[in-house]
Amino acid sequence: MKTAQEFRAGQVMNLDGQAWVVLKSEYNKSGRNAAVCKMKLKNLITGASQEPVFKADDKLEPIILDRKEVTYSYFADPLYVFMDEEYNQVEVEKENLGDAVNYISDGMPDVCEAVFYQGKAISIELPTTIVRTVAYTEPAARGDTSGKVMKVAKLDNGYELQVAAFIEIGEAIEIDTRTGEFKGRAKA
Amino acid sequence: MAPPLTPAYDMQHWHLFCKVIDNYGDIGVCWRLARQLVHQHRQQVTLFVDDLASFNALCPALDLSLTEQHCDGVCVRHWTQPLPPVTPADVVIEAFGCHLPANYITAMQIARPLWLNLEYLSAEEWVEDYHLNQSPVHGLRKTFFFPGFSANTGGLLWETALLDLADQANQPGWRAEFLQPLGLPVERAECLISLFAYENAALPDLLNNLRQSRQWVTLLVPKGRISRGVEHWLGEDLVPMQAIRRERLTVQELPFMAQPEYDRLLASCDVNFVRGEESFVRSQMLARPFVWHIYPQDADTHLIKLDAFLNAYLAQAPSPLAQACRQAHRAWNQPGAAPSQAFSQWLRQLPAAKAHASLWQQQQRSNGDLASNIVQFCTNTV
Repeated sequence: MKTAQEFRAGQVMNLDGQAWVVLKSEYNKSGRNAAVCKMKLKNLITGASQEPVFKADDKLEPIILDRKEVTYSYFADPLYVFMDEEYNQVEVEKENLGDAVNYISDGMPDVCEAVFYQGKAISIELPTTIVRTVAYTEPAARGDTSGKVMKVAKLDNGYELQVAAFIEIGEAIEIDTRTGEFKGRAKA
Repeated sequence: MAPPLTPAYDMQHWHLFCKVIDNYGDIGVCWRLARQLVHQHRQQVTLFVDDLASFNALCPALDLSLTEQHCDGVCVRHWTQPLPPVTPADVVIEAFGCHLPANYITAMQIARPLWLNLEYLSAEEWVEDYHLNQSPVHGLRKTFFFPGFSANTGGLLWETALLDLADQANQPGWRAEFLQPLGLPVERAECLISLFAYENAALPDLLNNLRQSRQWVTLLVPKGRISRGVEHWLGEDLVPMQAIRRERLTVQELPFMAQPEYDRLLASCDVNFVRGEESFVRSQMLARPFVWHIYPQDADTHLIKLDAFLNAYLAQAPSPLAQACRQAHRAWNQPGAAPSQAFSQWLRQLPAAKAHASLWQQQQRSNGDLASNIVQFCTNTV
């Protein structure tokens, strides 16, 4: 069993005897001992979706699925196509990618994990940390190097996220794919 | 919107589970909710509480030797570990993140009651999105119920009698009548402040501000965690019912108060320093200005919650009041983060603060009260 807050996008749980893939999970805490998670789940058999809320420490049953390393190849709407080491194509529907879709771009070097349920690829898990280039952001603010002041930056694929105010266009940044948060400048 | 005076829901059995973490916040809210379900909505309620001793401070009639008893129309049961077999009620509420006993959940899988998870109060925006969402656990559906300050939440816990008390307390002579038994012949023009808080490093700043205030101030301190800090500042021990004066400030300790008495204290004061969730809500629904000492949490997450509340509370306040109120809250919750005169500056805004407190109370009334909203939800769901 795993706690609700340990589930990430792409992972699968057993609810009432059915397999549900996590498309999105957000965590909030208010007051003492009151951390809660809201998830977007998709039923792997029926395709039905629901957005339940759990206490962060609720125990849920994970379903262990087959995995295979893949790299991104191309997008054929609505399918994202990945390639495994033997050049087999692995197709995943866009809506099954959840938040991972924000970080998928042409030529991305990351080795991802395709997740299979009953022989069908049902999601892609990205590495915990990925490096992306900032395509556009407002000019860097002078003086603030603490990383606490944030601004919006756009990636090559149009996705926007908050980055430190000192980041400039063309810089490579590290992103935590579990939280979607900017981690810092990529190490050269 | 006034709460319904007649039951909107056929009589049902309710089980309300409460674990006391510390202080009186959790059990205070549960006890009020239980009584309101009984008296206002004619429901049959059993309150399971793990710590009868803490509860006893709020409900002196409680007999600590009994595992089951009736108090003010509510069946109170000691929540022991393990809990003896209990047939689930029609509606089951687990309050503030407590977990129901495993054997009770097993019994619920057969009885299939309406299951609610009552959460803490917050003005954070995400709460609206979580309110009334369901949780598919243990083969059952549990609904999350979030109290809050907007129409898209469960509202606040208040009853009509509290609003009546607010009106009564505005009548001439009411305050003097309440204060006389306390030995406090307070003049009408004098500023009366209640002080209920956790230990607070900003306390000397507050007391220095009050001592040098433009008007005479009487500070009433219900005996509690802040008392020692007051004694330290005074340089002498507080003696219940005995006033101590420092320049324009008079300090008087009061004995620990049961909820109805404490409500009257809040209603009689011009300003209330409140803490936690209970007194915080009571002062708002009594339309009295207040400064909230929010329960401190790791990583300062309580400050996010405080800011969310102030943003909601002050959205329609005049700018000078909003600024003074924010500074006073900052000074009280982040000592050193605001001017040392923050409390004096806020007290100068008192007429505007009173008018705003009334406006806010009206707004909150329009959201309905928590107990009625829960009953309404159950009515619609069944």
